[in-house]
Amino acid sequence: MSEFDAIIVGAGPAGSSAAIKLASSGLTTLLVEKADPPGSKNVSGGIMWGNELGGVLPDWEKDAPLERYVISKGTGLLTSDSLISVDFRSRKFESRKTGYSVLRAKFDQYLANKAKSKGATLVTGVTVDGLALKDGKVAGVIQEGDEITADTVILAEGVNPRVAISSGLRPEIGDKDVAIGVKQVVKLSEATINERFNIRGNSGFAGEYVLGFLKNGVKAGGFLYTNKETISVGAVINVGTLRADNETHSFEIMDQFVNHPFISPYLEGGKMEEYSAHLVCEGGIGSVPKIYGDGYLIAGDAAGFSYSNGLIIQGINYAITSGIAAADTVIEAKSKSNFSSGMLRGYEDRLQGKYVLKDLKKFRGIEEVTWSNLAHKALPDIAEETLFNLFYEEGIPKRHLMEIVLSATKKSGVKKTDMILEAYRTMRRM
Amino acid sequence: MAIKIIVMMKQVPDAEEIFIDPVKFTLNRAQARGIINPSDENALECALKIKDQTGAEITVLSMGPPAAESAIIECMGRGADRGVLVTDRVFAAADTYATSLTLAASVKNLGEFDLIIAGESTTDSGTGHVGPGVAEFLGIDQATYCTSLHIENDALVAERDLEDGTEVVSIGLPALATVLISSNIPRRAKLRLKIDALRKGIEKWDHDTLKLPPEWVGIKGSPTVVGALKIPEERKRAAKRITVDQLGELVKELGGMGLIKTEEEEA
Repeated sequence: MSEFDAIIVGAGPAGSSAAIKLASSGLTTLLVEKADPPGSKNVSGGIMWGNELGGVLPDWEKDAPLERYVISKGTGLLTSDSLISVDFRSRKFESRKTGYSVLRAKFDQYLANKAKSKGATLVTGVTVDGLALKDGKVAGVIQEGDEITADTVILAEGVNPRVAISSGLRPEIGDKDVAIGVKQVVKLSEATINERFNIRGNSGFAGEYVLGFLKNGVKAGGFLYTNKETISVGAVINVGTLRADNETHSFEIMDQFVNHPFISPYLEGGKMEEYSAHLVCEGGIGSVPKIYGDGYLIAGDAAGFSYSNGLIIQGINYAITSGIAAADTVIEAKSKSNFSSGMLRGYEDRLQGKYVLKDLKKFRGIEEVTWSNLAHKALPDIAEETLFNLFYEEGIPKRHLMEIVLSATKKSGVKKTDMILEAYRTMRRM
Repeated sequence: MAIKIIVMMKQVPDAEEIFIDPVKFTLNRAQARGIINPSDENALECALKIKDQTGAEITVLSMGPPAAESAIIECMGRGADRGVLVTDRVFAAADTYATSLTLAASVKNLGEFDLIIAGESTTDSGTGHVGPGVAEFLGIDQATYCTSLHIENDALVAERDLEDGTEVVSIGLPALATVLISSNIPRRAKLRLKIDALRKGIEKWDHDTLKLPPEWVGIKGSPTVVGALKIPEERKRAAKRITVDQLGELVKELGGMGLIKTEEEEA
């Protein structure tokens, strides 16, 4: 007889959502988190997209610590001199909210405490060392030599899942699976933020940018999110290209982004409250390991569940959905007293039925588009050259747009055939 | 029979997360997370070491708001056997005199004990009064500024870190010792012990438990009056990058500013 019905490793959105669901259903649940309080080691951007929390907390929009809802979503290319961006702003987001900025130190604590209030045993400030095995099946966790038993263990350890890796349940993290995230939280008054971003009330802005000004081969993106009285600003840096270049350091990329002439005015006069860095889940379906087995399930970032296409970065919604699906699977397994791989396979089926695995499969290879040479090295320059020529009046006969684009492309040095191939691949995969 | 140790512990705001309100001169601790007062961690570790060696029954005693429960659970997660939180609104805003008195009364209420261990001082007030105050109210011997403690022949042997060296004292039990910050490396909580602590829970005592005269506790029982608070002026710092061959110039420059003395001057 196990001490707990389920042990969950990690009290992030995936782990806490699972714990809320399990504890609400009367299962004895242990939620273990290395940070104290939960969320204090987190470096998420972060925007929570979607309404997934409704699955476990119907009133989350009323009582969760949310910062601002996204009314304005920007996507842009930054070169040294220019910003080329699309800023989609719609009143439709007022009545149909699509995303909220959250500060994870508060948000994760809220979720973990919800799990606790539903009856889960929450232990913070303790790191699980490994998994307890019995007859080749996962039978609990090991911490400082003590074995704590459970019928099922849900690994929701986040982007660097040490327990899953050390237990051989997933391969070591590779350069393709992650990016490096560097983030600052900058304090400004609510009124100043409203004025600078042309927003009011609790509406907010979320922007993502390709950092086309980076020298050498390094590729990175930048993000800029408004909270109530702070701005979260950061860079997400491709690991492979950063490793290949000995000249560039992640903090310099961050510095260049926040000091860019069209980004720095947003932050001017602000006081830096936090500076942090962490791995970011980036890999796509290629990074997803086997997510279930005898006595265990893997959820959230630990399973590689995230989505990024260059226009948007999502992860919290995938974490919550996978956490709930894992909990549903454990509840069913409990009702049948069967915790075998065959039974827990239902987890994958549940995710197949939802967008989590559908998205990842449908957008197979999207990470190659997100990190393509076209997007990071050619497109920013071509767009800048094209638009500059289009808008710069120098009193000479005007050219057709196509002519301008072609000459800009030629100047960028990208072969026309490569360009067409990359563009086709982008359209197909995006 | 194993000896009985009481560890006095206070939950304090994490010093890295508090700031002084520039207008009201008060500590803004609203956003700071609560942690175990650092030298109390060392006090607990001293108790746990005794428990490791000779066996002991450790009770953690704390006075503070209900939120201090988490700090007591953390102590139990490291190996303390029992947790008592003395918590009541009438105890609030006590100075070190009223706090010592309330804690001494709590110790009496716990019954027999051999040794009380406390941190030397707290990071949120730093008076160092409370440990010695409790010893005085209880009328027991005390050893302050200790860096290590052990029990030998029914006596406490304590190493005291003093300005001119280390003093080793042996005092009869029951006794009280205060432990300096960083005098040992506190162990981390264990999952097994934390689960057990959460199941066991802590005891909460209030005014009705201790039954002290109301004018002895809280703000009423506190003779201290705070006259004024001042923020120390931040020292101005400067940095300069130099190469080795510029060292001579730097020495001259610092000498010129009166920051260092050169040999010529001394001669």
